[in-house]
Amino acid sequence: MNGRRMQGPRSGQIFDREPARRVFAAELREVRLQFREGEDEKSPSFVLLPTGARCNRILLVGTLTEKERRGDQNVFYRARVSDPTGTFSLMAGSYQPEAMQQIAKIEPPGFVAVIGKPNLFESQSGSMLVSVKAESVTTVDRETRDLWVLDTARATLQRLEEPGATEDSKRAQEEYRIDPAVYRKMVYDALAQLKI
Amino acid sequence: MEVSDAVERISGKMEARGIAVDRSQVEKKIRRLVEEFGVQLAEAERTVTNELAREHSLPSPGARAQEREIRGLSAGEWVTVQGKVVALTNPPTPAIAQAGILADPSGAVRFTVWARAKAKPLSAGKWYRIESAVVDEFRGVEKLNIHSGTTIAEVESETPLIPAVVPVKDLRPGVGSVRVKVVQDWEPSHERMLQAGLLGDETGTLKFTIWKEEGKEKLQQGRVYSIYYALVDEFNGRLQLNLSTAICLPEEGDIQVREGEEVRGVIVHLAPGSGLIKRCPVEGCNRVLSRQNYCPVHEIQKDFRYDLRIKGVLDDGIRTRNILVQKDIVEALSGMKLEEAVALAESSPLGMDEVFYRIRDAILGRYFQVRGSEMDGRILVRECHRIRFDPADLAALLNRAGGEAQ
Repeated sequence: MNGRRMQGPRSGQIFDREPARRVFAAELREVRLQFREGEDEKSPSFVLLPTGARCNRILLVGTLTEKERRGDQNVFYRARVSDPTGTFSLMAGSYQPEAMQQIAKIEPPGFVAVIGKPNLFESQSGSMLVSVKAESVTTVDRETRDLWVLDTARATLQRLEEPGATEDSKRAQEEYRIDPAVYRKMVYDALAQLKI
Repeated sequence: MEVSDAVERISGKMEARGIAVDRSQVEKKIRRLVEEFGVQLAEAERTVTNELAREHSLPSPGARAQEREIRGLSAGEWVTVQGKVVALTNPPTPAIAQAGILADPSGAVRFTVWARAKAKPLSAGKWYRIESAVVDEFRGVEKLNIHSGTTIAEVESETPLIPAVVPVKDLRPGVGSVRVKVVQDWEPSHERMLQAGLLGDETGTLKFTIWKEEGKEKLQQGRVYSIYYALVDEFNGRLQLNLSTAICLPEEGDIQVREGEEVRGVIVHLAPGSGLIKRCPVEGCNRVLSRQNYCPVHEIQKDFRYDLRIKGVLDDGIRTRNILVQKDIVEALSGMKLEEAVALAESSPLGMDEVFYRIRDAILGRYFQVRGSEMDGRILVRECHRIRFDPADLAALLNRAGGEAQ
């Protein structure tokens, strides 16, 4: 496990599973920086969120609106999942058999919880796209979606309220120069769509 | 009082601060003050101490020392305190003459009397004024050091000492007093150990040990005690109580002990080995059998016992925690009893995998609040509840998001 970050209260453990960050679609869409921690081929890759956190893995809960089976030899699925702020693009191929089988079974539209790894790449037209390689996709209920919106709002506000508190946050400030008010409004609007 | 005593005390005070002094010089100065100028010896001692302190730019230790409260002493300070010796322990090395706990109404501190201090032995239960002791820190615990420059005087005091009892979650390394219930009595892991176990109050639990010593008695499981002046130590990032110094008084009544820790998050992963499993039937073994009914110790088994469990990962977005969930809770979470799971596995073409998928679909991606105790990096879950949507959380977050947006 060369290059593993050994920090935090679990530094005694050999392997630290990367937590699944909570991020809204509108923020993930703005990601422009992906980096690898360490030189090792197996060292984890991260995207840097504009609000200032690295993420190797994310949790998203939203509505699966479309799915599409692609490829002949190498079958893979593409899917779209909407949250109150926008849309996530999902990918599941033969290296994600569990997610692929789960997507195959789900009939859109429906609420799903997705655990996956974000990836940044350049499209043929030259624009940058972020897609999520799904590890797992489960059907959930509306309450779980609502809890996720609260959770993600809380996590996003937390990151916004501590600008420059971590190295990642400082780096994000230099990289993105975001207007915190825009992100606050995104959070507010997402919350406002829930029923009190 | 003798001149030579004064010289020793002054030299000791300076040496404790790392300053070498010439004893004959010190003696000369004192004698000059006493014999030539007729100064009282105590005053001469004070004057010379101050002079030396000024020479080496030290805070003046010889000034009529202000008595300090024991609570709030911090490392590096040179202090004068008045307190009662509430406990004496066996010194771990011959370099230490005495060790124990000194308490005043504000709190308690551990102390060490160094053999080189050549101090008159302190007696438990008596009050002393201790002048010019040095506070240092060892493993995060403040300690009062009585060295050759410290002056000790027994004093008469009728001050009632009522130790401040704190909730278990507020204990910190040092000395602590608690009101707790003994919840577990473990097998002692060492022949010198009289008892080890778990005790706790409404705010949490921690491990305790009592070492074999004359007059020490075991605590009774299920009983409530007031424990005064226990040593609180940190070990592997966790606090534990050493009751060797403590006064343990049995109490009436009961305490609802809050056991384990509470964690909230989403179950993001179900590890292989979750769902329906087979266990080794050999008495006392209970290990999980492989698909070929192979036990790592007892090899191939004809028979087995079915069980349900979840080995999973709970993730709050910042930190991931491994959790282990036993049958009863798995049944409640998945809505599937063990017998139903067995029937399902036996009738489905996917066998035991079918049970794994059912449980996965029921819990993965959902928000849970679990309570349990951590063992080897894994939380053994005692309680597990789905988190419900609370409109009050939404209202608070709307305020937080809208508060500064304008």
